[in-house]
Amino acid sequence: MLKVPYVTNYLTEHFGDDAFATVDGYVARGGYETARKAITEMSPDEVIATVKGSGLQGRGGAGFNAGLKWSFMPKETDLPKYLVCNADESEPGSFKDRILIERGPHQLLEGLLIGAWATGSEKTFIYIRGEYAYPAKCMQAAIDEAYQKGYLGDDVMGTGFRHDVVVQRGAGAYICGEETGLLESLEGKKGQPRKKPPFPAQYGAFGMPSTVNNVETFSHVPHIIAKGPDWFRQFGTEQSPGTTIFGVSGHVVRPGLYELPLGTTLEEIVFEHAGGVPGGRKVKGVIPGGVSMPILPAGMLDVRMANELLREAKTFIGTGGVVVMDETTCMVRVACVISYFFRDESCGQCTQCREGTGWMNKIVERIERGDGSMEDIDVLEDIAGKVEGATICAFADASAWPMQGLLRHFRSDFEQHVTLGKCPFPESFEF
Amino acid sequence: MPNITIDGVEYEVAEGRTILQALDDLGVLMNGVDIPHYCWHPKLSVDGSCRLCQVEVEGIPKLQIACDTPVKDGMVVHTKNDRVKRAREGVMELLLVNHPLDCPICDQAGECKLQDYAYEYGVKHARTKEPRRAAKKRFDLGPTIVFDQERCILCRRCVRFCREVPGTGELGTFGRGDLTKLDTFPGIELDNDYSMNVADICPVGALTTKDFRFKIRTWFLEEIPGVCVGCANGCNAHMGVANNRVYRYVPRRNDAVNQTWMCDAGRLSYKEIEAPERLTEVSRRGEGGVLEAVSLEAGIHAAAERLRRVVDAKGAGVVVGFASAHATNEDLFTLKKLLSALGTEAAAVPVVTGEADELLIKAEKAANAAGARALGFDDPGRVLERVRGGGADAAIVLGHDLLDEAFLGDAEALGRLDTVILLDTRRSDLERVAQVVFPTRHAAEKCGTLTNQAGRVQRILQAVEPRFESYADGEILCKLGAALGLEGFDGSYDPRAVSKEMASAVPAFAGLDMDSLDPEGADLAGAATGRKAE
Repeated sequence: MLKVPYVTNYLTEHFGDDAFATVDGYVARGGYETARKAITEMSPDEVIATVKGSGLQGRGGAGFNAGLKWSFMPKETDLPKYLVCNADESEPGSFKDRILIERGPHQLLEGLLIGAWATGSEKTFIYIRGEYAYPAKCMQAAIDEAYQKGYLGDDVMGTGFRHDVVVQRGAGAYICGEETGLLESLEGKKGQPRKKPPFPAQYGAFGMPSTVNNVETFSHVPHIIAKGPDWFRQFGTEQSPGTTIFGVSGHVVRPGLYELPLGTTLEEIVFEHAGGVPGGRKVKGVIPGGVSMPILPAGMLDVRMANELLREAKTFIGTGGVVVMDETTCMVRVACVISYFFRDESCGQCTQCREGTGWMNKIVERIERGDGSMEDIDVLEDIAGKVEGATICAFADASAWPMQGLLRHFRSDFEQHVTLGKCPFPESFEF
Repeated sequence: MPNITIDGVEYEVAEGRTILQALDDLGVLMNGVDIPHYCWHPKLSVDGSCRLCQVEVEGIPKLQIACDTPVKDGMVVHTKNDRVKRAREGVMELLLVNHPLDCPICDQAGECKLQDYAYEYGVKHARTKEPRRAAKKRFDLGPTIVFDQERCILCRRCVRFCREVPGTGELGTFGRGDLTKLDTFPGIELDNDYSMNVADICPVGALTTKDFRFKIRTWFLEEIPGVCVGCANGCNAHMGVANNRVYRYVPRRNDAVNQTWMCDAGRLSYKEIEAPERLTEVSRRGEGGVLEAVSLEAGIHAAAERLRRVVDAKGAGVVVGFASAHATNEDLFTLKKLLSALGTEAAAVPVVTGEADELLIKAEKAANAAGARALGFDDPGRVLERVRGGGADAAIVLGHDLLDEAFLGDAEALGRLDTVILLDTRRSDLERVAQVVFPTRHAAEKCGTLTNQAGRVQRILQAVEPRFESYADGEILCKLGAALGLEGFDGSYDPRAVSKEMASAVPAFAGLDMDSLDPEGADLAGAATGRKAE
């Protein structure tokens, strides 16, 4: 079983070393020294300014400037403040946070400590998806070790700074990866996103000021604090600095994890690193960032993987989960799979999302069976338009965008189903 | 105060309110400014999930939900343009994708917001070819409510109501996506003192009350503004009337009294109107000591004759009057006037007490105890002592609350009096000791005013004509006063005139006569505080 990414950089550099996942191994490589430096030598504002200046974008999908997010935490408050680490990693096609937890749990904890210092948080909740039983075990083991060695607790590294970390496991809902859905679930309620405002920085976990960031986001932080924003900015693009871990799956020779600078072309990721499509077949389409991001056809793979550059191609980097599909793939089946997922995972509170995801799924399944009409294709496009952007959280967008992407680039697949009255791709995957 | 412009009209609104709240404060929401909404309710927390109330706010690229968008000075809102119209059409279409459309057999017809808004704001043709979600139909959520899971549009008003108002939280939504369903939590019934309010706030035919469903099509009902007489809170109600029958009470909004709610017991108290125990004829104790039905005139004559005999023999001081805290201010003012004209000051009001809560249910189980006190009727202790100690020979008794354990417990003490004149809506042991019995009207059968526990004077209007012989207490007392030849009594009773007379004679009621009150009432001894639409 492969446990390390194929291409490593600063985040994943030592992931081949089992000891790196232990506190001693981590400390031997200079671990926790950056957190000590931040807590003892830097003010919280300096830390926030550094992270902000690095341009680090949240790696959970939305790509919001992490330092800016931290700066929203109220400074003058008597309320306890919390950090929440989003390890729900529920986006299909995404599997980078898992390796960051399994192979670099102390790197994550150090990032959390720095974030806690910067935001004045006394506690971190790490919300790990229920299916991640093994990562949760790894994380808990690392936390236990960190407490034993004084890297967590009432007096972190003798600095007088207090910080606790708690692991909370999810129960298997995609929507609990949305930050406010996560907070509701963390509080023991049904995972349903909250209206915003108030944002978590005002009213977060248990009603307290909270900052929610993705596992990978926190994992970058020790490197930024240790080596500075300028160092960080040497990777990636002007607006999207740093590396990220691309999880490549689907019809490729080497599916796996690739830590590459943002701005790398999709072509390079798919062909150079992942080895292209096996069996000499051609690429048909690639989902660039987890299934909620619009698909790109083979002709558009020269795009560079950074949000500001993908926007023109009407898609986003999302969580960096690259899903490659070869020429045998029926895009209507893809639509069936994706729409079923979103139908099943919609939390059910907003009208458009609850009813629209189900309706879209029923229509594409009917088209796939050969019972669709040209009008159905228009209706599908229309529903996607009505679902998009009209609800409490971005889930509805996530359900509409893939449909819109598939219709934009592979409308002929849908039309062929209608004209032929059956699926024209007999070799496509079964579902 | 911020000024906002909606569709070109400027409104001055309160700080810190959302668009819908601000419009509701002004009384113009769906009453001049139409922003359709399902999940939002003025007395519940903001949910923001139905997405129907989307409006365009200048300067914000996406449409905003009016229920959760705070007003800002200078805000310009559009509720009627094409973009908003299309968004509403989208929501309405999606709400109907899985709705069973079983309107012909749905009891919400006539007051269904799904029908109303689909007609007003929806698309006029269906594009869906898919099978609709099947779910449970017609099942009991508890003792009072029947639920149709297929019709539910998941606005969760009922969920929030149970959590936020009675605080019982029996309801939740379960499952995800288009399989999301409303239900009670496992092993729990929807069973609280306010459970039936969920049927009122349910915009569709999902939640209906067992009591009312399929009794009558709602469009046949005329809604008469009334007041619940179950306790001293005086919750405002609409009395649903057709065929000279009250079919239901539903809460009538009054932010100063009952918000938009009613307790279940009060809601069902309309059944008192046609209770089998109602007194249905005037009767007089005949030769053999048995009550015999007589005409009103004969009853009045007999009562006057007996009272006159007692007063002539022993003076008016031996006559006592017991008011009913269920009677109107006008009835009681007439009783007080009669007792004074007769020359007795012994006037008391028994008020039965029971369980109370912090919401609407008050301990005093009568609608007008405060009115009776304001009109000079005392706690019955002193007068009851006189009755027990032989210091009274005749009593005019309104209602049967004296029989409560807190007062006489039984009719025995009154049985020792020479004369008992009874005016009551329903049969009781007092009939055994009364010489003359007059059937009186329920609050729904007469007009007048009632004073609630907080001193709010509220008007009631006659909803139905009694199906049997009965009279307003005031009418009987006026006729009795005339028969006794008392000053100020000409035998006619006009509650409006009495109300005016009371307002000028009793300082506490100044300005509070029936015709001066607005539908939400006003407080005793002070300026009207009724909430008025501006």
